[in-house]
Amino acid sequence: MKKALVSALLILTAIPLLLAVGQLPPHGSAKSPAYEHVSAYYLEYGAEEAGAENIVTDVILNYRGFDTNGEVTVIFTALAAVMGVLLLGRESRHPVEQPTYPPSIVVRFIVRLLAPFIAMFAIYVILNGHVSPGGGFQGGTILGALAIALTLVLGENEARRLIPEGARPWLQAAAPLTFVGIGLAGLTDVGVYLGFPTVETLTWVRTMWLLMLEIGIGLGGAVIISSIFWTMEGER
Amino acid sequence: MSQVFDIVLLLLLITCAVAVIRSKDLLAAAIIFSAYSLIMCIIWQLRGAPDVAMTEAAVGAGVTTVLFLVTISRTVRREK
Repeated sequence: MKKALVSALLILTAIPLLLAVGQLPPHGSAKSPAYEHVSAYYLEYGAEEAGAENIVTDVILNYRGFDTNGEVTVIFTALAAVMGVLLLGRESRHPVEQPTYPPSIVVRFIVRLLAPFIAMFAIYVILNGHVSPGGGFQGGTILGALAIALTLVLGENEARRLIPEGARPWLQAAAPLTFVGIGLAGLTDVGVYLGFPTVETLTWVRTMWLLMLEIGIGLGGAVIISSIFWTMEGER
Repeated sequence: MSQVFDIVLLLLLITCAVAVIRSKDLLAAAIIFSAYSLIMCIIWQLRGAPDVAMTEAAVGAGVTTVLFLVTISRTVRREK
């Protein structure tokens, strides 16, 4: 009975969805709504007006900067929630001295060999976000993943030393803080929160601000990801 | 040719999605979910969205899987 009901509901949901898929314009069609309206404007003027060759970066950091400001705040809130739930009411933490099963020599060798290259690639992705695909979010995640890989090899205590204790809260909040900073700079400079200077000759200022946002998001993202991992892993 | 590749990828995607739901072993489910993310990443790239593909590869296949594994290691491995 229950199964029949579930199947009937699924089929009833599937029919309108499949009908809607049939109405979609063909892939790559110039008539599809995605290429008309505002996107056409972004594609034509975005690179000059917003300050980055990569249109995706223009949209997420300049045209839709306000949304991204909220987004990085959400990520920061996620870290605050994880730490609040897992660390609340504990006087002192007891970090694991060494992993219970030390990783094999293969894992240790591979991680040590690859670590500098991964770090280099992450920094490249962050700093090249305005010309090539990538940016703060992607590069920050790669850096965070590197910190997690190093934790497996070095043990938690050693890996935590990569980020100085005093600077950690500031780095965890780096992304929202950078956004507020650039936002206030826009407020004083242009008169709009997160407004970018629109004068033709000031392209380098726009690019500079985008780069600062990318670095803030990248650093903040990396520290938040590794902090969530350490918070979850350290408490036993 | 590219259409055949698309269909193969989508079939693999559906297989992975069903396998994640049906698997009672949560460790296996987390790893299959990571494979799902990798296939999704290739699809994003083919659809011309390299930015999303990078995010999917780094967050979906990498960090999310690690967080799932940590959670499993702190709780239980089998679904009740």
